Order: sequence, then structure tokens, then C-alpha cells
Amino acid sequence: MAPLLEIHHLSVSFQTPFGELQAVRDVSLTLHSGEVLAIVGESGCGKSVLCRSIMRLLPGNAVIKGGSILADGVDITQYSRQDMERLRGRLFSMVFQDPLAALNPALPVGAQIAEAVRVRLPRARREAVHARVLELMAQTGIEAPGQRCRLYPHQLSGGMRQRIVLAIALASGPKILFADEPTTSLDVTIQAQLLDLLRGLQRSLLAATVLVSHDLGVVARAADRVAVMYAGKIVEIGTADEIFYDPRHPYTWGLLRALPSRARRGERLYSIPGAPPSPLCPPSGDAFACRNEYALQIDYLQMPPMFPVSETHAAATWLLDERAPKITPPAIPGTSPAGEAPVLPPSPQEPPLLDVRQLSCLYRPHRHLRIQALDGLTFQLHQGEILGLVGESGAGKSTAAQCVMGLCRPSAGQIRFQGIDLRDPRACRQNRRLLQTSRQLIFQDASSSLNGRMSVAELITEPLQIHKIRPSKGSLREEAAFLLEEVGLDVSCLDQYPAELSGGMRQRVAIARALSTKPALLVADEPVASLDVSIQAQILHLFQRLQAAHGFSILFIAHDLSAVRYLCDRTGVLHGGRLVELAPTETLFHTPAHPYTRALLSAIPSPDPRRERARPLQAFDRTPPAPEEILTEIAPGHLVLKRREP
Amino acid sequence: MKTHCIYVCRNLLAFLLSLFLLSAAVFYAARLAPGDPLVSYYGDHAEKMTPAERLQAEERLGLHEPIHIQYLCWLRSAARGDFGISYKYKISVLQVIGERLPNTLLLGGVSLLLIFTLALGLGILCTLQEGRWTDRLLCRAGTVLSCIPEFWLSLILILIFSVWLHWLPSSGAYSAGHGGDPLDRAAHLILPLSIVVSGHLWYDAYIIRSRLLTEIRAEYVLLAKAKGLSRKQILLRHCLRNIAPSCLNRMALSVPHILGGTYIVETVFSYPGIGTLTYESARCQDYNLLMVLSLFSGMLVILCSMLAQICSERLDPRLRPAPEPPADVPAPSEQAAGRLKRRMAVKSPKPLPHRR
Repeated sequence: MAPLLEIHHLSVSFQTPFGELQAVRDVSLTLHSGEVLAIVGESGCGKSVLCRSIMRLLPGNAVIKGGSILADGVDITQYSRQDMERLRGRLFSMVFQDPLAALNPALPVGAQIAEAVRVRLPRARREAVHARVLELMAQTGIEAPGQRCRLYPHQLSGGMRQRIVLAIALASGPKILFADEPTTSLDVTIQAQLLDLLRGLQRSLLAATVLVSHDLGVVARAADRVAVMYAGKIVEIGTADEIFYDPRHPYTWGLLRALPSRARRGERLYSIPGAPPSPLCPPSGDAFACRNEYALQIDYLQMPPMFPVSETHAAATWLLDERAPKITPPAIPGTSPAGEAPVLPPSPQEPPLLDVRQLSCLYRPHRHLRIQALDGLTFQLHQGEILGLVGESGAGKSTAAQCVMGLCRPSAGQIRFQGIDLRDPRACRQNRRLLQTSRQLIFQDASSSLNGRMSVAELITEPLQIHKIRPSKGSLREEAAFLLEEVGLDVSCLDQYPAELSGGMRQRVAIARALSTKPALLVADEPVASLDVSIQAQILHLFQRLQAAHGFSILFIAHDLSAVRYLCDRTGVLHGGRLVELAPTETLFHTPAHPYTRALLSAIPSPDPRRERARPLQAFDRTPPAPEEILTEIAPGHLVLKRREP
Repeated sequence: MKTHCIYVCRNLLAFLLSLFLLSAAVFYAARLAPGDPLVSYYGDHAEKMTPAERLQAEERLGLHEPIHIQYLCWLRSAARGDFGISYKYKISVLQVIGERLPNTLLLGGVSLLLIFTLALGLGILCTLQEGRWTDRLLCRAGTVLSCIPEFWLSLILILIFSVWLHWLPSSGAYSAGHGGDPLDRAAHLILPLSIVVSGHLWYDAYIIRSRLLTEIRAEYVLLAKAKGLSRKQILLRHCLRNIAPSCLNRMALSVPHILGGTYIVETVFSYPGIGTLTYESARCQDYNLLMVLSLFSGMLVILCSMLAQICSERLDPRLRPAPEPPADVPAPSEQAAGRLKRRMAVKSPKPLPHRR
């Protein structure tokens, strides 16, 4: 059977003031009917550009430098703008990462779907279009479509919005759906539902789906075939089983090893060293060579061709050449490490560093609206401990962090930090300097939390200047250089500005800034959520190393359970503003006691296609915990929200 | 309903208060300014008056009292709708204004309409041609043209079109004896109109252009493209629709500006409108006339900014009350449920997207 889409030696470049940016280099692919092809890789490797260049959705400075895209045997790279407009929606359609940005805020969602329906049926009657809109909404799993179609995007939840985008993409009956990171901005639980929906729709409505993702777990659940991209090239392609169980390219090995869900606690998490090459001047040889511990000399000189491994599997590495030395690939740890002895919490004799009791926070954005962001949160954080708080968005994790940092005024309860009552304004005033220097906050998005007009050196030493702390290394600049080395950055970054750094480097600068006052408590609010898998591993490892060296405590907030598992001593699960379970991390992951925790754990995608496909989705109870339930200790250090025994 | 009443009452109160403060300020400022109000009433005769006659004249016009008493008297009669007589024209102030107002409204209204239709057209043209020579040329020309002072440009245009070429009349609203001839009116309008339009057009066109350019870079445009919509459909149905509230807002706010522009232009072209009248009344200490004209201008400014506020509040669906929630969403059971539903849309905090 002829493939739906064939791409031959496609190259796409952007003309920038700094020169030609080669985003996609010599990519060849075929997409067959009835399959889900996943494209994975780090950010900036050209996966989105590849999809958008097929649909011709790139900005004006992008040029297709060479190659051809054949759809049903016709080369569409030569098509005019009008011809492409006719193809879009009918042949292929797209789902984007951020559904809020992708929907027009000023139109009801129903109207936006109707518009897409009319692309195919321009002269359809209003009732017919409306009926089709409702049908599409029902197909994408939206309940009560009749009422919801009148709502505006901001009135829907994130998962709901992504379903609307999906309905729009399906409206004109496309053959191919490009899903560009469709679940990245969603919670773990919604993510699993959406992936199942996507697979279901693929079987019933679509001919083929191209799933772009940086998350190998997502890919394992949904993909039939996987293409791994690096620096604009496809380095390995094969069926999901071949890629996950028999990877051949060192980059794929690295990606699989870097997954935090595969790491055991206490072990050093693997991370691919170095950073991808600049697409402005890609190296002449294998682009991955300088990060590759198995690199051969030829890798630096000559680009490897695709070596076929099997009929469906091919990889671009000289290691597959028959003359290459035979090496054993690194062991990729299994997905569920054997349970180890639970780490017991530090002795309760010494007073905790942070003592939070019955903390409640009530937002009243309007007279008639109350949002209970936190409801009776109680936990203790000891000196030198890493405590994780996990939960879906809206669970109150960030509110808890802000209350601890004094950025948000709690409505009831007690917070004591080093014995100081943070709700007593007088005590706070008296210990102002201590409180401000010994608590530091790290945000999710370092690009917006670092002032773009200050250099790295200024950013790092600003806390010292504010609190008039004498730098221990002589001058402020030397102190900044020391801190930079501490977080694994080169001293040459001192005079650079945040915009010149990559995402991982910016987050390192943010950590260096937080360390400058030698804090006793670091509050990290989703510090790795916006980073690539391999960079995530580096940052998590950095947290672990710094904590061991300096002995501060970390309140680590995340929605990614695998990161928490790797890093934290104890983990608390938040749901609807309440703590539903708090236990030593391994205990929590092995014997979760609360049904919500169990559901949350079951939703973590694992990079194991066979297991993922077999795993049914656990029903999810979203009702917030009942007020009569209280935290009960079921084992030493293991607290669960339970109904009081009569 | 109650919230609406409170909203209207609060705005009305603010409106009246600002009018009161404005009238007091203008009243004092006008009387503190140097000059002799009797000159405008008695003409040259005022200079030949004896001190006794002068005192008598001042008493007749109520000018002998202290300023605050005069103001109170004025307020009392103004509340009855009696704004006094114009010193210069010796007839009711409202009558004087009534004669001139249509001329200004014609000039201002036509220029407002022209400015916004042209600005919209130019904005869309520049957006479609972004970066090409049409766009670059229009932007440069616009910048230059909007920098030229209105009065100077008026004089140059008068010099070219009336003095040298004798094509267009240089002053007035109509030629003597041709009062009702629409063609004659139009010929008199061309020069003042082009001055007002050229002064404001480019600014608005530039704003529309930049708003549209921001809008077409939004991600929803990408989805609209992926849907299969054409460029024209995207621009008209999505982008223009989304910038409409801010454009209307801008339009309402620019009404006083355009009117202020017409004041200058009217004076230069001796166009018998409110502008010329205001200038005259301030120059001749025609207190009663000046008061009403200032209040009229002030009222216009306040009304327009209120209109602008309503535009941006009511046209953006994110600021509009939400419709009934779907059946499966549990409705709040409190008494305030109705109000809450309406407010949900405005105030509920947006979840932070976890971007990769």
C-alpha cells in the first residue's frame, strides 16, 4: 500500500540576522496509513519545525532548502499559498501544545469548531453545522456539548480546551493529524485520558497521526513507530518496541537513561553531558559526537548514513558499521526499581526547621467568590530534609510555597520557621533579615523570574547587596564566580544576560542566586517542569549534590511524580487544598494508601510500550476530600487522610 | 439588576462632580484673567465711561460682587437652565451656541468617520504588505505628515489652493449668498477637513497596524491556518474582531482630541464653529458664553472616556458575565449564586500552564 506521506531529504532553514539557522537537515520519512508515528527529541531539535514545514505554517523567514514532500504521490513543496490553504484541514490538521493560546479568546468554542466544519461544507445549513459541532464535541469526550459550545476558552479547563482544539482539528475530516506536544501543558491524569482519546480517534477517524513529544513515556503509550531527532536530523527510527527495547543510537540510550522514572533514589541520575550544537553552524560529522561517550574518530569527520538494523529499524551511527568495534550498550535500568528500606524521617526530637499546622488560605477575588486554596495543611520539614509536595494544578501546591515564603497571607493556621511565628507581624519585623536570607525561592520559569536587563553576575550578587552581606570570597564578583562554579556553570557566563543562556543554564543561575545568601530552606516551585528530560536530570542531580554539600532543606514542589521520587526524602500528596497522604517517598510509591495517590501513581506514563498498552486507565475520583476525614498515622511516618474510626 | 443600578449611579455621581469642579475652575480662572468684560458688552463705549457709569454697568451685569457670590448666583440660575446672555452677542448663550454647533458637528463628525475608515484600510493594507515597500513607504510618509503642525500646514494649504490656484475658498463655512448650497458647503469643508484628518489619521492607522501585527502572530492564528481558513478569513473574522474593542476604545478617546484639533483649524480658517466661538469668548471675557462652552467640551471628554471604558468592558468576552454553567457542573447553592455565576468569568484565577 502506498504511504500517505513521503518526505525525501527535506531541509528547512531560517534566515536570521546571524546567518542561516538549519532547523531540519536532510530528513526522510514515510507515514503509512493506520499508524501513530512519534517524533521525540530535546527542544530545539527541529521536531515542531518538521511538522510545521509539512503544513507550511512556518513564519516568513523559513525556507525549504531542498527535498520533497509527497502527499498521495504529489509534491506539495511546489504548491502555492492558495493550494496549501485548500489542503489544510482536508489532508492534514494540527493540535498545538498550549490550548489556551491556540484558541481565539474572543469567540465561543462552538463557533470556532463551526468555522472548521464550514471549511469542508461551505454551504451547509446552520442547523447541520451545529449538529456536526455537537457530534465532534461528543467524539472528543466533552460532556454536555450543547451548553459547553457557548462557552469561551477561558471558561473551560485545560484538558477541556485541548479537547476543543482536537475537535477543531478533526472537524474537516483530515487524513493526517499532527499533534505537537498535545499533552505537555496538562496534568498527568488528564494527559493519560487525552492520549487514550487520541489513540481511539486514530482507530476510528484518522488515517495517521504524527505525535511530537519530548516525553518518552507519552510516546510509549500511544506510538506505533518512533523517530528520534537530534540537531535537525533523524538519528534513529523504528517501531516502538524496537526503540524502547533495542535502541541502537547512543543518543537514544542517553534519552532513555536520563528518565527520572528509571532512576533509583540515591543513585546518580544519568544525564547526557554537554548541550546540542548550535543550528547556525552544525558540525560536519555526527552532530552528537561531542556528547557521545562511544564516539569513534570517524564520527567527528563524516556524517553517518542510516544503517538498517531490521526492515523497520534504522539508526544513524557509525557503531553499526561492520568495521566498528563491538560495544555493549549501557544497561538501561528497569522501570520499577526494587523497593529499598524506606528512609525514616529524622529524629523527631530536634525541633523542625519549618512547622506548618492547620494552614488554610482563602482567596476572595470577589465578594461572592471564595476559593479555598489550602485547607488545614499540616507538615513538618526537618533540617537537611527534602520534602516533596505533589498534586494536580489547582491543588494548592504553589499557594503553600507562597505562604511559606511570606508572599501570601494565610487565612488561618500556623507557620513557624526556625521557631519564629510567621503570622506574627512583630516577630517577622524583628527577624526580618534572618527570615529573608534563610528562605529562598526558585521559580518554574527562570526566563521570566530573572530580570533580563541584569547580567548573571548582578543577578547572583543582588541578594548580597540588598542584605549588605560581606562576600566570603573577597569581592562580589569572585563570590559570583564561585557560586557559578558551584552550580556547574562556566565563569565566562558572568557577563552574559539571561536571554543568551539556555533554559537549563538559566535555572542554574536561579539556583546560584538562591544559594548566595546561604539559606537554610530552599523552596523550589516546579523547578524542572519547563525543562527537557536530559536537562531535568542534570538539575535534579544538581539539587541533590548541593543539598548533600550544604545541608539545607528543600521544599520541592512538582507535578512530575518521577522527579519527586528521585529527589525527595518524604512526599506529600495534595488534593483540593488538603494533604491526602504524607509518607517517606519509597513507602508512598510502593504502598500508597489513599485512593487519590493510587490513581495519581497509575497515571504516570512509563517508557515501556508493552506495559503501557496493557495498562488500563484507572478511574479518577475528582471529588475533593470530605471535611470529616482527618489525617491518621497508619504506620510510623505514614499519614493518610481517612474517615475517623467510629 | 442591583449591581447595574449601583454602576450607573456611581458613574453619574462622578460625572456630576467632575462637571461641578470644572465649572468652578473655569469660573475663577476666567475672572482672574486680565481684561475688561465691559468691553465685550459695551464695545468702545466702555472706555469712555465715567467711574459712576462703570459701577452701574458692573452692577447690572452682576460683576460687582465677590467671585464666590457671583459663582453661586451663576450656579442657581444654571440649575434652572438659564445660562445668561452672551455679552458680545446680547442674546441667550444657548442660542449663540445653537447656531454654531451644527458647523462643528459636521466638521468633527465627518473627520472622525474619515479618519477611522481610512485608518482601518491603511492598517489592513500595511499588515498584508508587511515589510514590503508599500508598508515601509506608508509608515515613513505617515510619520512625517503627523509631525507637521496643523496651523502651519493649514497656512501652506491656503497658500497653495486658495491664493495661488484659486481652487478652494480659504475661510468661512459658505460663500455669501450660497447658504443652502451643499456643493458650496462641501468646497468650504475640504481644506479644514484634510488638515484634521491628516493630523490624526496616521497615528490611528499605525495603532491598528501594530495591533493587527501582534494579533496575526498569536498562536490561535496558527490553528486557524491549520483549520484551512484563508488569509482573508483569518484577518477579517479573527484578528479584526479581536482588535475591535481596543479600536472602538481608541476611537471614543480620540473624539475630544479630534474636536480639539478642529478648534485650532476652525480658528485658522475662520470657520464659524464652536472652536472660533470659544476662542473669541475667552479673548473678550464673554464669561457666560465661555462657561457653557467649557462645560460642553468637558462633558464631551468625560462622556467619551466613559464610552471608551464601557467599550472595553463590555466587548471583551473575558470581562463579560458567564452564561449558565453546564448541567454537570455543580451550581453553588448560596443566595448569591446568580451574582457569583456572573462574576466567575471575571475573577477566577487562571491555572498556570506548565510549559515545557
